[in-house]
Amino acid sequence: MSKYKIVGFISIILILVTSVLTGCSSNSSKEVSSNELVTIEFWHNYDAGSGQVDILDKLINEFETENKDIKVKHVYLEWEALKNNVVTGAATGSLPDVLRGDIAFVPQFQSLNVLEEMGALSDYIDVASEVLEAPNSTAKMGDKYYAIAANTNTKILFYNKSILKKTTAQVPKTLDEVWDTAQKVSDSKTIGMVEPWTGIWNVGPYIWSEGGDVLAPDYSTADGYINSPVAVKVIQKLADLYKEKALAGPSMDPGAVGDSDGWASGLYALQLDGPWREKSNIEAGVDYGAIPLPAGSKGSISVLGGEDFMMFKTSDDAHKKAAWKFIKFMTGKHAQVEMAKVGQMPVNKEALTDSEAIKAIPLLPVFSEALQTAKARPVTPKWSEMENIIATKVAEAITGKKEVQKALDEAAAEIDKLIKESN
Amino acid sequence: MKSWERKQKYKINFSETSRYSLLFLGLFITVIPMLYMIISSLKDNKSTFSYPPKLFPGLDEITFQNFTYILNNENFNNYLMNTLFVAFVTVLIAAVISSLLAYTFARFIFPGKRILYGMIISVMLIPGLAMIIPQFEMAVKFNLVNNLWGVILFYSAWVTPFTTFLLRGYIEDNIPRELDEAIYMDGGSIFTVYRYVMVPMASPAIAAVSILNFLFPFEELGWSQTILKSDEIRTLPVAITMFFQAHNRTDWGYVFAMASLSMVPVIIFYLVLQKYFISGLSSGSIKG
Amino acid sequence: MISIAGKKTIRKINWRVYILLIPGLLFVSIFTFYPIAKMLIMSFFNWKIGYQQVSDFVGLDNYKNVLTDPIARKAMVNTLVYAVVTVPLQIVFGLLIAVLINGTKRFSVTFRLGYYLPVITSWVVVALLFKYIFSNQGLLNFFLSDILHIVDGPVGWLSTRWSALFIAMLLGIWKGIGWNMIIFLAALQAVPKEYYEASSIDGLNRRQQFFYITLPSIRGTILFALVMLCIGAFNTYTPIAVLTGGNPAHETEVVLTWMYFQTFNATGKMGYSAALSMIIAATIILITIAIFISLAREEN
Repeated sequence: MSKYKIVGFISIILILVTSVLTGCSSNSSKEVSSNELVTIEFWHNYDAGSGQVDILDKLINEFETENKDIKVKHVYLEWEALKNNVVTGAATGSLPDVLRGDIAFVPQFQSLNVLEEMGALSDYIDVASEVLEAPNSTAKMGDKYYAIAANTNTKILFYNKSILKKTTAQVPKTLDEVWDTAQKVSDSKTIGMVEPWTGIWNVGPYIWSEGGDVLAPDYSTADGYINSPVAVKVIQKLADLYKEKALAGPSMDPGAVGDSDGWASGLYALQLDGPWREKSNIEAGVDYGAIPLPAGSKGSISVLGGEDFMMFKTSDDAHKKAAWKFIKFMTGKHAQVEMAKVGQMPVNKEALTDSEAIKAIPLLPVFSEALQTAKARPVTPKWSEMENIIATKVAEAITGKKEVQKALDEAAAEIDKLIKESN
Repeated sequence: MKSWERKQKYKINFSETSRYSLLFLGLFITVIPMLYMIISSLKDNKSTFSYPPKLFPGLDEITFQNFTYILNNENFNNYLMNTLFVAFVTVLIAAVISSLLAYTFARFIFPGKRILYGMIISVMLIPGLAMIIPQFEMAVKFNLVNNLWGVILFYSAWVTPFTTFLLRGYIEDNIPRELDEAIYMDGGSIFTVYRYVMVPMASPAIAAVSILNFLFPFEELGWSQTILKSDEIRTLPVAITMFFQAHNRTDWGYVFAMASLSMVPVIIFYLVLQKYFISGLSSGSIKG
Repeated sequence: MISIAGKKTIRKINWRVYILLIPGLLFVSIFTFYPIAKMLIMSFFNWKIGYQQVSDFVGLDNYKNVLTDPIARKAMVNTLVYAVVTVPLQIVFGLLIAVLINGTKRFSVTFRLGYYLPVITSWVVVALLFKYIFSNQGLLNFFLSDILHIVDGPVGWLSTRWSALFIAMLLGIWKGIGWNMIIFLAALQAVPKEYYEASSIDGLNRRQQFFYITLPSIRGTILFALVMLCIGAFNTYTPIAVLTGGNPAHETEVVLTWMYFQTFNATGKMGYSAALSMIIAATIILITIAIFISLAREEN
């Protein structure tokens, strides 16, 4: 039986070594007394290519000169990596002190129980009153605030002027005309519209503008909303366009050229998109124009995008304090104007009317107009899962794999199952 | 050359010609995408967008601007050094640990041997990506996040099973036990055997498997992306991916230039060890 | 207790063996055994990865969820098809090229490097390259429609389930041939020359030599390649992630991309993912055993 003894012996050694190693490292957690230098870690996805990271470096420098006891270490992570790193980090508490990420991350991260309730900070209300209300509503879950708006955006309709001119198409004035134009300009070398995804971020504005919705206002059900006649009609229209090759996008057709690359090569004529499209079109030398989403039967309702600042439960008090200070600095007028110069739409009310900011984002007035009616996606913990369901079903409907009504009924049923499970 | 071979060669010259033409045809098909990548990297970054695509840039349009951009602006050297460091250390750790394991498994009988060996080998069967959460947890515990060692240690552990498997087979097949015996006769210990018999005799196999291990850090993305967060410690695959996505659109010219450049060290490493590659793999485990 | 294999004499070297063994075992245990064990545990829980959240034991629910999930099933079918198509073709082409190269006197380094190039290029880059070639407005469609005028509009190579998977398989085969070529080249060089000499005296032609001498001599290598390639096929992630991202509507998902999606996009369904990867591992083990058994039977 010595065979088993030795196997046992080895496993004991392994367990011992592992636990010693584990024990050692868990003692070395960061403990910083108040008057020492605090280094906060800041994760973000500011775009390096458009000089946002350079501005960030400059801003951090200024912040550090003002606050000698705080150092900010910033880490760029691409959108998906940013999210994935929080998911992996949540398991172990290995998270940053501050994060600036998509507004859609807030409910998702909150469901991981990692976000610090920012609303509980004594001066949160004062700071929040200086930023636009609508973008900041994305930070609110239930009646608590878990984030603060960092910058905002919404989508407006971009059109390729040369394509419209070539096909003698007019700039659409209503949502129906958008569909008609998309159809009219499409041929073997041109595709009328592009939608990179089929989530609510993409199809929501069309549904909302026709008077439909995704979930019941109290988020209690999707039945009768996502599968309502209005939603079915809108998706059916998109399916028709897709069939006539007047609509493309990688999530419906993986062979489709990505939206930015397609714009650059003059393939796509229309897209409802955010401020980044302006920048990339200028860079690629596209002759483009932009207007707020032409109204459907119930108005022009675009979708609210942008980023929020978040803080994490895993930080200790000294780091939280420093992190909050940094966030206040970043939402202040000066930092917001600086960021506007490199394409980030400010949320700070003063910065919005600043002449330098408007000069930097020529389309700012168009966006501001669209922002007034823009709608946030539901802020509920399971939202990203729900949107995944919708994206899948809508893609099935648009590509003709399923009847539109059937696909949306299935989406409603799956979402309701999710709602029931989480209650 | 054996006489029969020579005879045959002259007899069927036609088959020799067709052999070479087949090989060159296959080679052409194989390297076409590579060639296209290199050609595209020599095009002006803007023209890679154009449709209809321009296949070949005119001689006057060839530009090294993408390469100079990569070499000057994008910390390429830094990424390259990181990747090389990770690759060399991974190769080294895997070689030492696996040769020790391979030696023990090849030469000694001890209780639990079959089970242990089976366990080590079966690690190969579990998809690496599947373990990302528990592994990340460990990386945090050992303070390996945002640390090149976090990549090195896990890479070494991942390649160890295959390396061990290969080396064990090589030792069993190619290193005569008489050599061990001779060392024992001279009063040597098993450490002496390891140092003076196993290491030198198994070096072709070690070299062969090292080529594969060396490639690993140039390939792997999921784990390195999870663990290497700051820009200054990123390895090439992460850098290429981040670079690819950071600009809102695909700068194909830059991506292709960076990809072409990142192949250079691997090709050099392969060419240097190439002659061991075949002989190191030609016996042992692979023969089954 | 511990003896040198094959010798009956027991040597007094026992404890030293453990010194050789322990660093390696420790290393492998910490970095691979532990995560695997942890994952096995996770697969039985509704694993919450959130900060200080408590996970509930759910027994086999995760496994049930995976096996009844239509998308997971689709992903498994896709993966199996990928394996069934790519594995044999890689072996056939790899072996063919190895046989051709084996007798060459000239350009042998050129061939060895050229055919190996795809292997040493990163998956991300070659997958991007393929996407660039096969996308609707890509190089191939440009050729077919604008230069050769064979087709009217763009062909949707990546647009539907099977054609997109076909492109992914093409990529997998193209990238894998070099590895097989090297492995088989190594095996071919280990076949004793005397066999061929004897057989050519017996009047066997080249084709007969290949089937009666070469193939039997390298059957071990074929077995090895078969197992390694099956593992590789089930590990396919990057080609699909880059080429289609599992789109449209999860039609082209393979097991790993689906697991990744469940882990990260669906807010950390860790239990589900863990169960899925356990099922993948079990499948690979079963396939490996099946390969061994069927080849052993053939031998008798």
